[in-house]
Amino acid sequence: MRAFLLAGGFATRLWPLTEKRAKPLLPLAGKPLIDHVLEQLPADLPVTVSVNVAFQESFAHWKAQSKHANAEILVEQSRKDTEKLGALGAVAQWITQQRITDDVLLLTGDNYFGFSIQNFLQQYTPGTPLIAAFDIKDPKQAQGFGTIVPDGDGKHVAAFEEKPAHPQSSLVSTGLSVLPAIHLPIVEEYARQKPDNVGGIFEEFLRKGIPVEFRAYTEPWFDIGSFEAYLEATRILVGNRVHLGHGAACEKTTAEGPVVLGNHSVVRNATLRNVIMFEHCTVEDCVLTDCILDDHCVLKGIDLSRQMLREGTILERK
Amino acid sequence: MGRYKAGLLMEKSCNCRAPVSYRRYAIHDKLRTTLFCMSRPRFLLLLWLLSDLLLFVGLYTLAYFMRVGWILSSNFPLRPFLISSLLVAPIWLLVLGTTRTFALTRNQRTIRNAAYIAYAALVGVALFTLAFYFRYKTSFQGVSRLLLLEAFILTAGGTWTWHLIFDLLRRMALRRSPPSFPTLIVGLTRESKTLIRQLNQHRNPLVPVAILDGQGTKESEIDGVPVCGKLDRLEETLQQKEITHLVQCSTLEQSLNLLSACRRRGITYILLPSVLGIVERDEHVESLEGLPVTVVRPSRTAWYSFFF
Repeated sequence: MRAFLLAGGFATRLWPLTEKRAKPLLPLAGKPLIDHVLEQLPADLPVTVSVNVAFQESFAHWKAQSKHANAEILVEQSRKDTEKLGALGAVAQWITQQRITDDVLLLTGDNYFGFSIQNFLQQYTPGTPLIAAFDIKDPKQAQGFGTIVPDGDGKHVAAFEEKPAHPQSSLVSTGLSVLPAIHLPIVEEYARQKPDNVGGIFEEFLRKGIPVEFRAYTEPWFDIGSFEAYLEATRILVGNRVHLGHGAACEKTTAEGPVVLGNHSVVRNATLRNVIMFEHCTVEDCVLTDCILDDHCVLKGIDLSRQMLREGTILERK
Repeated sequence: MGRYKAGLLMEKSCNCRAPVSYRRYAIHDKLRTTLFCMSRPRFLLLLWLLSDLLLFVGLYTLAYFMRVGWILSSNFPLRPFLISSLLVAPIWLLVLGTTRTFALTRNQRTIRNAAYIAYAALVGVALFTLAFYFRYKTSFQGVSRLLLLEAFILTAGGTWTWHLIFDLLRRMALRRSPPSFPTLIVGLTRESKTLIRQLNQHRNPLVPVAILDGQGTKESEIDGVPVCGKLDRLEETLQQKEITHLVQCSTLEQSLNLLSACRRRGITYILLPSVLGIVERDEHVESLEGLPVTVVRPSRTAWYSFFF
């Protein structure tokens, strides 16, 4: 088996945090999101991380500092949203160019998997596509994901619907799946028609009469696609405490909810509620609520709520 | 900076140790180079200020001749009159400057602007009277009320007329390719489309050269201005298009980040009031105990509401 991690998106909804880094490189509870995923994979599993040219440099920097030596970076030649190959298109291109003949563990790089990926892999029946599912409970929320309609046995997929207007189930695909080697030609063919529809491949399998299995998990799972999702993921992982990075300091400060201070960030005389600071930030005499600060932000004497601040923002009340 | 490279090269080639016959050329060359190197807006501003100074003195001289007749009178000599107007001219210019009349992006054809010029003309007359009185007390009887009235009317009317003419020249000069003020529009809304059309239609010095939209759009251009993508292309666009002004027309939640980008690059940031939900078109920036605030008042019809 080989793993293919999709990290080629431009993440415009999380701008400006994704101005210089892709979503998988966003820090989550003190380390990049991609590290949370890769740490769960078997050490001997070869991993290919698909990235775009715009974020190539940031991934190279991550790779240089990363302990995941077996991760190979594959650069997709797209600079803009409009030039993207599409997620499935990238998978298909990799399969074709690298002549992949192994089973493929497909992962989306902007997801946090609280359940055990190794356990998921143990559930795999060779030759049968497998999807990791999460019960999101609220059918309305399920509208934004690929939904799985379970068969009566609770193991097979009866139907797969990509972002349905009226979901029949609250079980959603987590972006973690196994594509058996035997069915990779179907993936290549389907990608030519719908290169951006990853979930659609399971509909295609079902249309062709290929059984698809799923495993449902109850442990936390997040699709870090928006400001709210990012804060929520941090809230679940960090809890009501202050997470201090290397060299970070928090003095005379009231903290409520999760507060994450990246490496060398310093906070003095402030009130922080649900705040994430990346590295080298300085905050003095501020009241911040639901805020995310990119690297090297300096805030003094400012009250802010629900803001994502770009790298190097300096706001000082005179 | 690259825009003025040719000018800088010209300056380097200027040889000031050349023989006398060439030195004159060198001085001319240097002056030409200095003007060439100076950015278009600065050069225009300098030209504008100098022309206004000359205009002020010229109009006062005209008022003198209109009263005295087209002769050089010995009872009321021109010399003290000219010196007084020369003394007052820079102060008058300063007063006019405080009304921001010389802002290169301001439309001169407005009642408010005319009122500012009239106000400065009035101050000019007052200053001239004082200057003449204290400097040439004995000749002061020659300064008639009618002369002062004419000086006021001529400076107010003449200056406004010249500003209207200069406005046309300025717009042409500043819009010439490459434009002096390449402007980025952030947000594609009805309001921003109207703004782009207005700027182009009225040949405003702010030339929209690119549009970015926070949500993304299928439209590829508005009134000839290309839509360059979402906000992830901000830095690239600011750099490539050498943006000097950014107009935020939507995406209120990104104001801080757009401001931050503008501050870092020395770009002028402009916010459309509609982003804040202000569409009444009667908003004012005022001061509350020294803190600048944007004020939108309910519409009032009573005459005394003018004072509040």
